[in-house]
Amino acid sequence: MTQEAGLESRINSRKKLGVFLKVFEPVFFARPYLKGGTLIFIAVIAAGIISNFALLLVPVYIGEAVSALEVGYYGDITRYSLLIVSAYSISALFNFIVNYGSQYISQTFAYNLRKDFVSHIVKKNFLFFETQTSGDLLSRGTMDIEATRNFTLNMFSSLFPTIFMIVEGFVLLFLVSPYFSLLFALAVPVLIYLGMVSSRKQRPIWRRIRATYGRLGETLQENIVGQRVVRGLGGEQKEIDKYGNLTEEYYGENYDVGRIRGVYNNLMPLTVAAVSSAVIGFGGYVDLINRTSVGGIVAAVTIFAMLTSPVSFLGRMIVFSENSRAAIGRIEEITSPEEEEYVEDGGEALGPGVLSFDHVRFSRGVSTILREITFKASPGEFIGITGRTGAGKTSLVNLITRYYEANSGTITLGGRNIKDISLSALRRSISIVPQEITLLSGTIRENILFGMEASDDRVREAARIASISDFVESLPLKYETPVGERGITLSGGQRQRVAIARAVIRNPKILILDDATSSVDPDTEITIFNNLKEALKGTIILMISLRASALSFADKVLILEEGELREESGGGEEDYVDRL
Amino acid sequence: MSTGYDALEDRYLKPQRGRATMLRMAKDIFHQKKESAIFVISVVITSVSGVLYPLALGLAVNAVLERNASLLILYAVIFFTLYFVQFFSNRWMTLSSTRVAQGVIKRMRDTSFQKLQKVPLDFYSKVRAGYLISRIENDSESISDFLTYQLPQVISGVSTIIIAAGIMFYIDARLALFSLVVMPVLGIFTLLLQRRVRTNYLRTRRTIAAITGNLAETIAAIRTFKAFNAEDQAYTRFERLNRDNFSANMDASRLSSSYGSVIRVIEAVGIILVIYEGSVSLLDHLISLGILVAFIAYVQQFFNPIVQLSQLYNTYQNSMVGASRIYAIIDSEPERDVGSKVMDSFNSSIGMNDVTVRYDDSVALEKVTVEIRKGESVAVVGRTGAGKSTLTNVVLKLKYPDGGSVTVDAADLMDIDTKSYRNLIVPVLQEPFLFNGSIFNNIEYSKSGITREEIQSLIERYGMEHIFRSLPGGLDSPVGEMGRNLSEGQRQAVSILRAFVRNPEIIILDEATAQIDSRSERNIINAMRKFRERGTLILISHRFSLITLADRIIVLEKGKVVQQGTLSELSTQSGVFRDLYKRSVG
Repeated sequence: MTQEAGLESRINSRKKLGVFLKVFEPVFFARPYLKGGTLIFIAVIAAGIISNFALLLVPVYIGEAVSALEVGYYGDITRYSLLIVSAYSISALFNFIVNYGSQYISQTFAYNLRKDFVSHIVKKNFLFFETQTSGDLLSRGTMDIEATRNFTLNMFSSLFPTIFMIVEGFVLLFLVSPYFSLLFALAVPVLIYLGMVSSRKQRPIWRRIRATYGRLGETLQENIVGQRVVRGLGGEQKEIDKYGNLTEEYYGENYDVGRIRGVYNNLMPLTVAAVSSAVIGFGGYVDLINRTSVGGIVAAVTIFAMLTSPVSFLGRMIVFSENSRAAIGRIEEITSPEEEEYVEDGGEALGPGVLSFDHVRFSRGVSTILREITFKASPGEFIGITGRTGAGKTSLVNLITRYYEANSGTITLGGRNIKDISLSALRRSISIVPQEITLLSGTIRENILFGMEASDDRVREAARIASISDFVESLPLKYETPVGERGITLSGGQRQRVAIARAVIRNPKILILDDATSSVDPDTEITIFNNLKEALKGTIILMISLRASALSFADKVLILEEGELREESGGGEEDYVDRL
Repeated sequence: MSTGYDALEDRYLKPQRGRATMLRMAKDIFHQKKESAIFVISVVITSVSGVLYPLALGLAVNAVLERNASLLILYAVIFFTLYFVQFFSNRWMTLSSTRVAQGVIKRMRDTSFQKLQKVPLDFYSKVRAGYLISRIENDSESISDFLTYQLPQVISGVSTIIIAAGIMFYIDARLALFSLVVMPVLGIFTLLLQRRVRTNYLRTRRTIAAITGNLAETIAAIRTFKAFNAEDQAYTRFERLNRDNFSANMDASRLSSSYGSVIRVIEAVGIILVIYEGSVSLLDHLISLGILVAFIAYVQQFFNPIVQLSQLYNTYQNSMVGASRIYAIIDSEPERDVGSKVMDSFNSSIGMNDVTVRYDDSVALEKVTVEIRKGESVAVVGRTGAGKSTLTNVVLKLKYPDGGSVTVDAADLMDIDTKSYRNLIVPVLQEPFLFNGSIFNNIEYSKSGITREEIQSLIERYGMEHIFRSLPGGLDSPVGEMGRNLSEGQRQAVSILRAFVRNPEIIILDEATAQIDSRSERNIINAMRKFRERGTLILISHRFSLITLADRIIVLEKGKVVQQGTLSELSTQSGVFRDLYKRSVG
């Protein structure tokens, strides 16, 4: 029994030590982002050791100066003064390297991490973005990266120097008096223990704080997006109460951390002070009895005074580390290669060809969205796709761009399996106008071009086809009119038409209109379709719509029902949807 | 592409500048009387005891020189006691600073959230949701760091300097002057650097804001970037900003690191001045060795807070900018809501008389005059942008007209108590917005205390049973974020039920979306047909099937009423209505 208990406590204490060492976990995370920085590391650490040593020599010289004065050697004062100034100057010089170098390390780290973050974000596949909220992704890319950067900075500018300072302080105390260093040696395990307990107690609370912070954001976002409903239903007070309860919770959790910090963080300097007082009492008594010089205790107490503030900073490092570790977990979910697709560059441009679906099946989780889809579409054809909400219309077109991968069956374009075409070549030959339009902050022209290069004439021509040119020409700045991130100044229909122009200017092999004219009035819609048919003669046009008027325009209509496809020749005036 | 939004947002949400923000935050801090009092007192106790231990050390040294053992022990005990007192005062300081900081943040968050419920609805079309969230969430967090960690340092630093100077002058004014002789040098040096520090700091802040903005945009537009295989473009745009930020930070760091180093050298000069002058005084027996030791310690104590304070500049500015951004939200004009006339029932009619609504420089509604009588069903149709949604907002009292008036039962809508009015008129909005929670939670949102049975009977009355049949959890099924777990039809049905549970006199149905399929549409029509029998119905739509429910149709074109009449009347007239619905009207 006792043996078991002993073993358990040993394992426990080893576990506890392991937990404590996890404070350094961010170091391992940071390493790959600091490749080639080994020399700078060594330089910063070495500079830290030198700077601190020089700084700690100051109390020693002060002590010796005091001893000299005590016995009346005034002539030595000049020598000590010079020593003190030199020690300070050396310390200052190397301290510059420590500060600047650790800033350099932390900024390089953040720079590379952000770079990596963005390069992974653009590689993530479509399913990934369907499960993540953009606000959360943004906070990972900003706040979380900043938290880890902050810890890296403090690790090099404070944590390492403090640790070395403690060691050096110990050595210098030994030189001043072995007894003093022995007293100090007693304090070190106490300091480590206090750090461990504080860190262990804080961890679960920090996790809760993170979660509450996330909920605060969600509630806020929901409230802002749903403002019309909140007001229309008179739910303002309910919302205020809901949010108020969350901020109250957040307050409480932060206060819990404050309580832990209040005890442990302040016990650390108190420990140093206890040793310091013992030095005065014991050291002073020895000096008094032996009639030795007081320079020693002056030096020792000054050394302790210098150690006090770095030691109390150790407590804050625990907070930084906890924060940074929580952040690392969230960043790693992005920088891991999971849920990514590879958009290899290059690949030849695709020639014209027939799009063909052959027994294509697609399912998500347990539910089958599309089963046994087979159809062909030839260049120049205008094909309507319809079906009830949730019938799989968008999934079907997303298979063509390989946003989703089919579970079985083959999709070919110009006779080639689209799986054998590089994603980059494939997507460059397809233009899609999605249901939800995003405009970048920039001018209308920039939004139509979207990174492409084309003459102003082609921009105007694309705008004409999309039936937006008249509107744009009516604006004072015409194509140079700035639009907001989400097209705040444009109406839904105008945004859709800008997006159509953006798709058209690329002269695609396949043009996909996913309910792309839902906010455009029926007259304009017909004009756009006529323009498209005329301008894109060699293009396969796939149009998802529920409007009979739009579908009547198609050469043929594919009707999706329960994941299966029915084909009808188009051109009629029937209400396809009503017959479902 | 250019970044013009920040400037635009600043024009709309005017941030206050430095000093005013600081004073306002101070007011917020002292608003918590008890906490801030404990905070200040504990900081002062900490500083006083901190300032006293060099003295205790000096006196202990003198005791050793005088070979007085009991005095030595006494001073050693006092030395420790001072630290012990400091432990408690520090503890109180930690607790009270946390309280003050978190209290200020809670207050800021709560009041800005409350303000968001009161601002005019246009506010949300001008200020981006993402930026609002970032202000309330992140900016307040940056204040927390400053208040919890830095503010105690500032106060204790300043009080340490004052108290230490006081003690030094009291003990030996001459030596004190010598120790402080380097101060003006330090002051001039700091002032000279101040300007450059500020410029550097602003640059780091601008570059990081650009990174955040760019990242937000990239994430929002990720599907488009992928669709056009423009990932490289996203990456390149970001890379440039990332590099700018790096060099801005390094420039700032070079300056602040040099500053820290120079201060240390100045400190060294201060110490040797004291030692020199001290040794002369010692020789003349003007002071004791212990006092000299104490003075040396004081000079060192002096510089610590100064170095710390100089490094606080960034955090201080950061949190002031953060605070000013939140105060800007708190200061936004609320919708003037003066109505106090409580309405219990709707008796005769809603009238719009010459109503004009402008958004910035464009006119959304121009001199619109319309009357909707109790029990009537009226459809408002028109092309996109004709002003239909604005009309909904005006009738719902979500948007106040810029000209003309709205009367309800002959009372001006502006004089009517908003809360009671919203009990009479309930909207079913386009893009039915659902809150995260269950279906039941969403319906209950509209009327607290409603039971599942009552909802069930409503579902039956309006023939909606089959809509929810596919959900295993029934009314307790979670709707997911933004209602994503439900189909469009189910979301629409929840939105309608949310209106029906209030048993309203008037329902406003704003444009059942274009994406909705005909089966869901039929559900809506059926429910509305039943409601029509006992209430007033206003339909905003361009779907022909819904319009057939209306007794009367109002046609809007470019913000003006161009046609009015019954379906059969309008079908035979030539005009906008026939142009819009020629296919359906035949």
